[in-house]
Amino acid sequence: MTKSLPINPEEARAPRMIELQDIPVNQYQKTVKDEKDNFTKEEFMNIYRDMRLIREFEEMLMSIKTTNAYNGLEYNNPGPAHLSVGQEAAAVGQAFYLDKNDFIFGSHRSHGEVLAKAFSAIRKLDDAELMEIMESFMDGKQLKAIESIRENEESVAELATSYILYGILAEIFAKETGFNQGLGGSMHSYFTPLGIFPNNAIVGGSADIALGAALYKKVNRQPGIVIGNFGDGSMGCGPVWEALAMATMDQYETLWEGDMKGGLPLIFNINNNHYGMGGQTRGETMGYGNPARIGAACNPRQMHAEAVDGNNPLAVIDAYKRKMKNIEDKEGPIFLELVTYRFFGHSPSDADSYRTEEEKDAWREHDPLKTYPEQLIEAGVATQAEIDAIDEYVVKKIIQTVKLAIDPVISPRMDLQAEPRAIEDLMFSNQKVASFSDAEPDMLQTREELKDNVRVKQIARRERYAYDEDGKLLSPNRRYQFRDGIFEAVIEKFYEDPTLIAYGEDLRDWGGAYAAYRGLTEAVPYHRFFNSPISEAAIVGSGIGYAMAGGRALVELMYCDFLGRAGDEVFNQLPKWQAMSGGYLKMPVVIRVSVGSKYGAQHSQDWTSLVAHIPGIKVVFPATPYDVKGLLTSALNGTDPVVVFESQRLYDVGEQFVKEGVPAEPYEVTIGEPAMRRTGSDVTFLTIGATLYRALEAADQLQAEYGISAEVIDARTLVPFNYDMVIESVKKTGKIIVAGDATARGSYLNDLAQNIQNLAFDYLDAPVQILGSRNWITPAYELENDFFPQADWFIDLYHQRIAPIAGYTPTHNFTDGEIRRRSTLGV
Amino acid sequence: MAVAVIMPRQGQSVESCIIGEWHVAKGDKVSAGDKLFTYETDKATFDEEAPADGEIIAVFFEEGDDVPCLLNVLVIGEAGESWEEFIPEGATADGAGAGAAAATAEAASVPEAAAKAEAAPAATVVTAPSVAGEHPVSPRAKGLAAKHNVDLRLTAPTGPNGRIIERDVEAAIDAGLVATTAAGQDYAAGIAGSGIGGAVRVEDLSKLPELQNLEGAALVDQAVAGLDEVEYTDDKITNIRKVIARSMHASLSEMAQLTLNASFDASNILAWRNRLKALKEKGMDEKLGLAILQRVPTINDIILYAVSRTVKKYPDCNAHYLADENIFRHFNRVHLGVAVDTPRGLMVPVVRNADLKSISQISAEARDLAMQCMEGAINPDKISGSTITITNMGRSGIESFTPVINPPETCIVGVSSTYEKVRSGKDGGIELYPAMTISLTIDHRAIDGAPGAVFLQALVQTLENFDLFLMG
Repeated sequence: MTKSLPINPEEARAPRMIELQDIPVNQYQKTVKDEKDNFTKEEFMNIYRDMRLIREFEEMLMSIKTTNAYNGLEYNNPGPAHLSVGQEAAAVGQAFYLDKNDFIFGSHRSHGEVLAKAFSAIRKLDDAELMEIMESFMDGKQLKAIESIRENEESVAELATSYILYGILAEIFAKETGFNQGLGGSMHSYFTPLGIFPNNAIVGGSADIALGAALYKKVNRQPGIVIGNFGDGSMGCGPVWEALAMATMDQYETLWEGDMKGGLPLIFNINNNHYGMGGQTRGETMGYGNPARIGAACNPRQMHAEAVDGNNPLAVIDAYKRKMKNIEDKEGPIFLELVTYRFFGHSPSDADSYRTEEEKDAWREHDPLKTYPEQLIEAGVATQAEIDAIDEYVVKKIIQTVKLAIDPVISPRMDLQAEPRAIEDLMFSNQKVASFSDAEPDMLQTREELKDNVRVKQIARRERYAYDEDGKLLSPNRRYQFRDGIFEAVIEKFYEDPTLIAYGEDLRDWGGAYAAYRGLTEAVPYHRFFNSPISEAAIVGSGIGYAMAGGRALVELMYCDFLGRAGDEVFNQLPKWQAMSGGYLKMPVVIRVSVGSKYGAQHSQDWTSLVAHIPGIKVVFPATPYDVKGLLTSALNGTDPVVVFESQRLYDVGEQFVKEGVPAEPYEVTIGEPAMRRTGSDVTFLTIGATLYRALEAADQLQAEYGISAEVIDARTLVPFNYDMVIESVKKTGKIIVAGDATARGSYLNDLAQNIQNLAFDYLDAPVQILGSRNWITPAYELENDFFPQADWFIDLYHQRIAPIAGYTPTHNFTDGEIRRRSTLGV
Repeated sequence: MAVAVIMPRQGQSVESCIIGEWHVAKGDKVSAGDKLFTYETDKATFDEEAPADGEIIAVFFEEGDDVPCLLNVLVIGEAGESWEEFIPEGATADGAGAGAAAATAEAASVPEAAAKAEAAPAATVVTAPSVAGEHPVSPRAKGLAAKHNVDLRLTAPTGPNGRIIERDVEAAIDAGLVATTAAGQDYAAGIAGSGIGGAVRVEDLSKLPELQNLEGAALVDQAVAGLDEVEYTDDKITNIRKVIARSMHASLSEMAQLTLNASFDASNILAWRNRLKALKEKGMDEKLGLAILQRVPTINDIILYAVSRTVKKYPDCNAHYLADENIFRHFNRVHLGVAVDTPRGLMVPVVRNADLKSISQISAEARDLAMQCMEGAINPDKISGSTITITNMGRSGIESFTPVINPPETCIVGVSSTYEKVRSGKDGGIELYPAMTISLTIDHRAIDGAPGAVFLQALVQTLENFDLFLMG
């Protein structure tokens, strides 16, 4: 507990100096000759071969991009190609010690890292292991595609090399036989069987994802290290800084216990080619001089930050040897800068207007593909003829790869006319996996001991149905509450799935916003349940990396309004990787998002629509204790990303609908099915989230005062959504109001309304109405009744736009003129 | 470069045209092909299109002006360009349409066009509810009404914006405003919505057959009273209607018209026509290569043909009586005027030299002319110069009528519907036969009753023996 770490005023206020140690830059200056005794000839030659293969691969792509041909083979590749020509030594040096258990994550410019990692991992596997990987990955689809060249290959390792080159190139060419079935492309290639995780087209996007993978390795005691590769351009990205913050939290040393104590097995690897697209990071767009300065600032250990010569493969190998030892000593994470240079532009369309030919020429003298073979010959390790033989081999290998990848029969593209559901089927994995590990879950309290847990005891005293025998609503303290449903679903999963970790802001000790997690602190150890820094991007991004690596993550955003802080992670990362990996990766990440009230414009927004808009995320918004427990259980049993919205208006509501009360044992509520809350005959109210209770209030008034009978349906889920119940209801009533707390313009309410209108048009007695919040800032709590839909808004809307009520005087304006006026003003 | 748009000359006989409606105003930007203004001859309406892209920099006339043909009407050019050189002769124009020189009474064939003072808006609503004749109907209400044969015209809308909603239909059902099943079927069959997505609007319903069997006529008044219905609308009289009015009035006020009616046995022409139809059905049109089988002549075509031949023997009936000029003009050829009812009003295109044309030629030409009139695309030259006119009300179930002469012709032949009549049979009994009435109106100034009757009798003879006549 942080109570064990008192903040001492004497100490905090005492005069002292923070001492920074020197940050080494390019200290390693050896050549092949100097290292002759430390590497075998084969190792030296393999370093050259791998660099040469990467260079030829990239130049082939450049040739195809700019001339539609490579060595007489014609092909048009309209997709992107961000090439790493010049950076081969950094990639090959990094990969030298890595095997399949080490994970790499990359950027848009990562072909080199991917290939180098694959070649290194192949060398460390025996034939049987390699065959097993090739035969089993996507049912051997890629292996079948290269069937024709199999007999010509000298060894399984060579076959595997061809296999990797093919799978990556076919992917770049958007072929169905690519490693991502053509759905990832140049910037998203991956091959997890060899520890190669998806690259990322968002600059710095891999930083927090790599952090999550490192958390997975640590918490689940998995072998290997994790490397996040980014360019120097990413050093200006907020999520990268957040990842650095969360990766260097003190608690790994101070609060995580036993074998969990110590730093993360993670290397932030900055390939400093000096340009963030066209912006020159040194001298123009950043102020650090060297990126290593940033790493050094993060913790007292200075992240072992260092800049090494990334154009000398031996310097990089040396650095990795030392850094991997640091990680073994639990002194991670590491910040490593590899100083290098790219000869081509950001992409083939980049005219290099920001640098001179003189600069490029000067760097050509430092091109690793020039200096390294010179060193090999100088040191007597290789002859020119041996170098030439490798060059010849490499060209042959790439020609062979291109031939296979451009062949429309061997390498077809996904046919969406013939199989219109091919991508649709990959958007969600829709599996049910109770646990991702057979290990014994790390817990502080056994299931037996749990009955003494402070929270469990509190819940035991509460009634699981909100009304007593006389139909009187029980007081909050006497009833089982919404927040209790959350707790029960989560604690159950902690026992069931040892990989589950939960974190976010202010969760431990405090219990999270509105104390939903109160009691977890006593039951779950730090490394499975902890406070994160205030780093929303890193919270969500690390959850993504954790899930990608093989675990299950439950993360929390304390307020929906903070969703923007995790925008890239929620919108660009979380929903994409299942489909973008061709359906290979799973994304069991559940994000709990608390929707505020009372705290004004930046703490009260319902942004469900933003999330529902993005394909690839399931979105639920339970409004009852029964549903939150059931839906959270479903989400935590699944393999898809689910964002669970919870209204802060509801944390203390009791269960008013399920008369048997909320079951103590686990159960699921199917994601995608709305719930009938009250039957009626004159009008239907379909609500999202807490608006349910306002709709019920309106239904009461309509019945009591005007004899109008309203049917009330709780959407419960936004994505997916089964319309059957709603359409049946509209067939009966002919009228519907779709309501929620989101600001009305562009909200998901409109989506629901549109579909209802389409599906039930002939039964409608009035246009489908939506009732959302005003298109304003959320005002102070005292003014909220004029902002969020209230019960009387339903009646006013009904009166003005559906069926006028005799003698009724509305107080809110829903007339045509008002709709036009507000719309004209954009409010 | 500024270009002037002139009032086109639509046919040699047209000297001026009336500007019906402006689609543009001074200062508007136009593209080549955009509609500029609508203009009317006394017989048809046309649209003038922009010949070039540009801005309307001058307009010389207003709606209703009668503009002599070939005069500049407007100028298209670039903003700021001068247009004064285009001011039409004799006009003192400001280029914005005001103060323009309209055709003089002498130059115009429609003199009173200058009386353009009718400032009434296009449609003046007297009682002014916001949605006159526009009651929308919810899909649900529409379905319920169809199910219960409720006449939505009699349903009082209580929904927002005057919408008829489910409860309104339920109220109508409760009030007994329900049609019989038979009437309901008419109703259901006749429903064709013109609103978005086929939504039925009240204006669609007004096209439906009347519902005969409402329970109590008083309910109709009661329901209509609740409709907020507009009592009437005032529409501007179109120029073509004015022309017709003037022509008809002149006809009746200046001539001494006398109508003679005679009925004839239509068995012969019907049998002849049926035979042609039967032959055509057998595909004999191809085998025989006969034009007459390509398109079997209508009853009207037969009458046209009969008149074209018969009238030749009665020159006073194929003539113009020009009293003012002291001339009785007898024509050598027969130019048949054929009255056509068009959406714009009555028009009379002319089959010229009909006495020289075969029945097939007459049939085809009459049809083409009628189509052109319906489309408003007829050349004005083709609607003038007739020597005798035929008007046919046969489709309207008329038994006889008094056709009004198309001046300065001397007579007009009217044709009514076929009716079964009874006559003495050969064996002393009675028999039914199809009878048709021909009504001949003559200008008694030019033709006396007796010669008129002789011409009518000759027509009857021709038609009763049409097959023989054709051989003749």
